[in-house]
Amino acid sequence: MAKNPCIIGVGMTKFGNVLETPEIKDKTFQELLAEAAFEAYDDAGISPEEIDAFIVGNMLPYTSLSNSQATNASDWLGLRCKPGFHIDTACSTTLTAIGVARDMVASGKYRNVLVTGAEFTNSYVDEETVFPLDRKPLSPTRLWNWTDYAVDHNFGYQHFYGFDVLNGVSGLAYMKTNNVSFEDYDRAMLQINKNVRLHASMNPKAIMYEQGTLEEEAEREGFSSVEEYWKSDKNPFIGWPTRRKSALNYADGASAIIVSSEPKKYKKLPIEILGFHYAAYNWPWDGSADVVAFEGAYKMAGIKPKDIDLLSVHDCLQSAHLDTSETAGYFEKGTAWKAVLDGRTRFDGDKPLNTSGGRHGLGHAFEASAGADAYEIVKQMRGEAGERQVRKPIRIAVQHNAGYALHVAVAVYRPGK
Amino acid sequence: MEPIVKKWYEYLEEGKIMGMKCNDCGQVNFPPISACRKCRSRNLEWTEMSGEGMLLMYSTSGYWPGEKFAPYAPFAYGQILLKEGTIFATKVDGVPVSSPEEIEKGNQGLPAPVKAKIVDGVGGRKVVVFEKA
Repeated sequence: MAKNPCIIGVGMTKFGNVLETPEIKDKTFQELLAEAAFEAYDDAGISPEEIDAFIVGNMLPYTSLSNSQATNASDWLGLRCKPGFHIDTACSTTLTAIGVARDMVASGKYRNVLVTGAEFTNSYVDEETVFPLDRKPLSPTRLWNWTDYAVDHNFGYQHFYGFDVLNGVSGLAYMKTNNVSFEDYDRAMLQINKNVRLHASMNPKAIMYEQGTLEEEAEREGFSSVEEYWKSDKNPFIGWPTRRKSALNYADGASAIIVSSEPKKYKKLPIEILGFHYAAYNWPWDGSADVVAFEGAYKMAGIKPKDIDLLSVHDCLQSAHLDTSETAGYFEKGTAWKAVLDGRTRFDGDKPLNTSGGRHGLGHAFEASAGADAYEIVKQMRGEAGERQVRKPIRIAVQHNAGYALHVAVAVYRPGK
Repeated sequence: MEPIVKKWYEYLEEGKIMGMKCNDCGQVNFPPISACRKCRSRNLEWTEMSGEGMLLMYSTSGYWPGEKFAPYAPFAYGQILLKEGTIFATKVDGVPVSSPEEIEKGNQGLPAPVKAKIVDGVGGRKVVVFEKA
């Protein structure tokens, strides 16, 4: 019998664009949440009557057309008059909420808690019409204006802050700290992109699923090699030394996770939440919040980095495959770039990383994304990941998310008995 | 508690770049803050910064600039280790940004000393940037 609260059910929508992706086209905030939650209810074999409380994540009311998100979601989730609330730690929210749900369940007051989150990043609702079906395409510049409210506006943001330079500075920090040349960094970043596109090409929920692999895309675009395509003006620098394809792809979507103290009552292999921890701080970051969050979660779980069989890192900046995987202890300092080039971080390697496709391949629907990462870990631990199933038993998995700017959340999972 | 942010921008108008020194642990907090970033003490006082630091690295902005910074793009943005011991990030003048090769070459010469200067920000207030000699 599992000693810790467990995840008993998971669900998520297709990640895409509600203006055009058939599976989610024309769906509102509440409908995306309900679709993810209903999949989780069915996955667990649980009825909404048995859900004792719920938590809703959502960052951008300008695009979701919702404040008081739990109120707006309650009836749509089948949870009318149940206790529910909204929390916001930006893109780590649904993992933060998994920790909160774990403690709610551990307190004994609640048996089953639903964690759900949804986001729109590709379209917004006009302030004039204020009608959820009147969506307009959202430019990345405007999206970042709203998203950057998560950055210190007293000082940091006023001093020329931008998400583009963040991509550059993060890559540069890895190069300089580890004495890695631009050529080697660029080769590693290409391999990371090949990996996440391969993973996404095997994940029907991924925004890049229909696009296939990077190699297939290069051929479609008329390039003789993927290296040539990578270095072409189809993939400009977002902030040197990091190219556009090493950043996120904006997605709309929702995810849902059910945490329970009574996993034996439900049908699927329960996934134990062994430990979790959070740390928050302002820009400019020095990496210390990541260290605090990993150490706290490992201590609570009673694990060491060498125990980790599957790792998920928050890769809106894909340099996280290098620096965050080293902070996690998945690789020795300064060696992740070589491990990537050796193919070890592919789903079929000995150190699998971001097997869903991550924030580029699966896509990034801000406050739904951490739940989507938990969804992937649960599917992998159960052996339900299909073509992208990792090729070894997963005894311990670790999930890391970074909420802008910056709230780091880490959780440790193992299969229950 | 007196307004800290307003006071800081007023100091810039007077040509002064100010931080907050912790009277308990000695940490110089920059930019200023309500509680020491190192020891969490509220026993802080204004102190004038030297304006000296070392540029550790820089990249460029301009691909997805915030709307307000678009007129400056492309510009260099870097991390500076201040003489007082903390890291600050802002626009950096006097380093090459016109091509990836130039940016790579520019970064190879780092760390290098930089000096703070007060310039007009985009919101009508003064802000702090750094300049490489």
